[in-house]
Amino acid sequence: MNKRYLYLLLLPGFLFLAAFMLIPIILTIVSTFMPDGSLTLEGYMTFFRDGYFNKILLTTLRVSVVTTLVCVVLGYPAAYYISRAGIRKKSILLALSIFPLLTSPVVRSFSWMIILGKKGLLNTFLMNIGLIQKPLEILYTPVAMMVGLVHLFLPLIIITLLGVMENLDYELVRAARSLGASSFTAFRKIIFPLTVPGLIIGSILVFVGSLTAYTTPALLGGKERVVATFLYQNAMTLNDWQAASVIAVIMIVITFVVVGLMNAWANRLNPKG
Amino acid sequence: MALISLEQVSVAYDNRFILEDFNLQIEKGKLLSLLGPSGCGKTTTLRLIAGFLNAEQGKFMFGGKDYTNVPVNKRNFGFVFQSYALFPHMSVYDNVAFGLRLRKMKEAEVKQRVTRMLEIVSLGGFEKRLPKALSGGQRQRVAIARALVIEPDLLLFDEPLSNLDANLRVNMRVEIRRIQQELGITTVYVSHDQEECFSISDQVAVMNSGKIEQLAHPTTIFKYPASEYVARFIGFGNFIAFESRSDAGEDIELSRGALKFLAAKRPNGAGNLGMLGAIRPDDLQLWPSTQEAPLSGNTLSGRVQVSTYLGRSYQYEVETELGVFTVNQEMDVPFAQGEQVTIYFPKDKLVLVQ
Repeated sequence: MNKRYLYLLLLPGFLFLAAFMLIPIILTIVSTFMPDGSLTLEGYMTFFRDGYFNKILLTTLRVSVVTTLVCVVLGYPAAYYISRAGIRKKSILLALSIFPLLTSPVVRSFSWMIILGKKGLLNTFLMNIGLIQKPLEILYTPVAMMVGLVHLFLPLIIITLLGVMENLDYELVRAARSLGASSFTAFRKIIFPLTVPGLIIGSILVFVGSLTAYTTPALLGGKERVVATFLYQNAMTLNDWQAASVIAVIMIVITFVVVGLMNAWANRLNPKG
Repeated sequence: MALISLEQVSVAYDNRFILEDFNLQIEKGKLLSLLGPSGCGKTTTLRLIAGFLNAEQGKFMFGGKDYTNVPVNKRNFGFVFQSYALFPHMSVYDNVAFGLRLRKMKEAEVKQRVTRMLEIVSLGGFEKRLPKALSGGQRQRVAIARALVIEPDLLLFDEPLSNLDANLRVNMRVEIRRIQQELGITTVYVSHDQEECFSISDQVAVMNSGKIEQLAHPTTIFKYPASEYVARFIGFGNFIAFESRSDAGEDIELSRGALKFLAAKRPNGAGNLGMLGAIRPDDLQLWPSTQEAPLSGNTLSGRVQVSTYLGRSYQYEVETELGVFTVNQEMDVPFAQGEQVTIYFPKDKLVLVQ
């Protein structure tokens, strides 16, 4: 095919995204600065002066950060084990770790309700063995959201890390060992630094995913709001589309800032540049 | 006494033995090559010595101590990898300093040693570069410097030159030999390239399916291969299976049917046990059959089947009553296809193998 016409391959997808994503986003952004035709920051000022919104924003960031950290702590060792496993074991473990992605978030959240609820499996169990006297309040708290989000995003970080770890030349570890490094030192000085870029990319995916997740926090959070559920409430319940747009833009900005910062960090660490 | 001794070692992968009852001794200060095609067990042997692999059975003695269960990082052996295995996130300096820092050496001394070692491998001034900013030859030299700077008790090379282009390979192998002799460091070198092994080694072990076929000085192997396998591997392209042999003073008389050949005995009297005659294509000589051969005996008449031009010489496939022989000969005017020729087998070039 003539190279000059190669761009035609890009065109359909690009037009679709432009028409249904790029233009609406630009219109949304513009509308928040010009609610009635003149340029103003009033929309944003209202939000950042509002204690309730600040609390929601803080909860959202906290839930996202903790979810990301938990995913990193749980996902990294798991991914490392899978990357070093034999080919058969590897494919089984990989299928198992992807499995949560294949079920609907609604189904998953309802199962967590059954587990975490006041008369749920966890509380019943803990009370039966006498560890607690009255049921723990887990469901409809930020903790429940985090549990649900970790369940949702753990596969994502495992897959991302696995990609990096499988490309790791294990000869490097042998080289480090032959130069006198213990297994742990070889891990600390060779494997870990070389997998940090993957760790950052995985963290970005989890963080952004948690930040914008709707279903899981809506079902497991109860009255606790996160930015995404708050946006929904403003738009669908209160019919305040102006406020919903402002929230949407704030979410986009946070996402871009976080992705930008972490990408820059990952690039700086990436030895292959 | 040997510095290194592998005693009745067996290594298996997936229930298949790579090495079985394997024995090898290496003297202090020598460079020994393990030569053989891929899958012959040479790399397995090297990795066993390095400690990357564990033997199912047998012992590995080093300097009189049992090293069989000493972990890799306690052996103090330098290893140079085929892929170089430089740490991509570290500068040349940090790569070379890696082993010294693990030994808790003071940074001032680390600097002094790394700088000296980089001079030795002619990489002064490259300290701050990352491996990706180096050429293949430079990477290889960093890998060698990194293995040498820890002052290893043993240096191990795993096909270190196979990723370099031909000119660089020759330069690097001279360099490796120079450094090895300068530092007097015992070295095991693995390669499938016979020229590479012969040019730098004190001893060459030719390996075949987990066994050493012959262990000797390179010139001995080159002239007097011990077995058919070794002969084939190092370029003896022509074979004659004789039916009987008898002593004839300086020589051995061989016969096949009505044909009689003489082969010179080896100088030290060793070897020359088999009944299979082997000779290199370069050592055979051809005459036109119209011309009388200047020497009698050890000849065979035949017909040129194929003639190809190799640059320095012509290569002929000559059909005879004992099969097809390959002959390389330098000449201005080549033989034509189908021409009748006489092949002469110099008796000091015809060796007997088992």
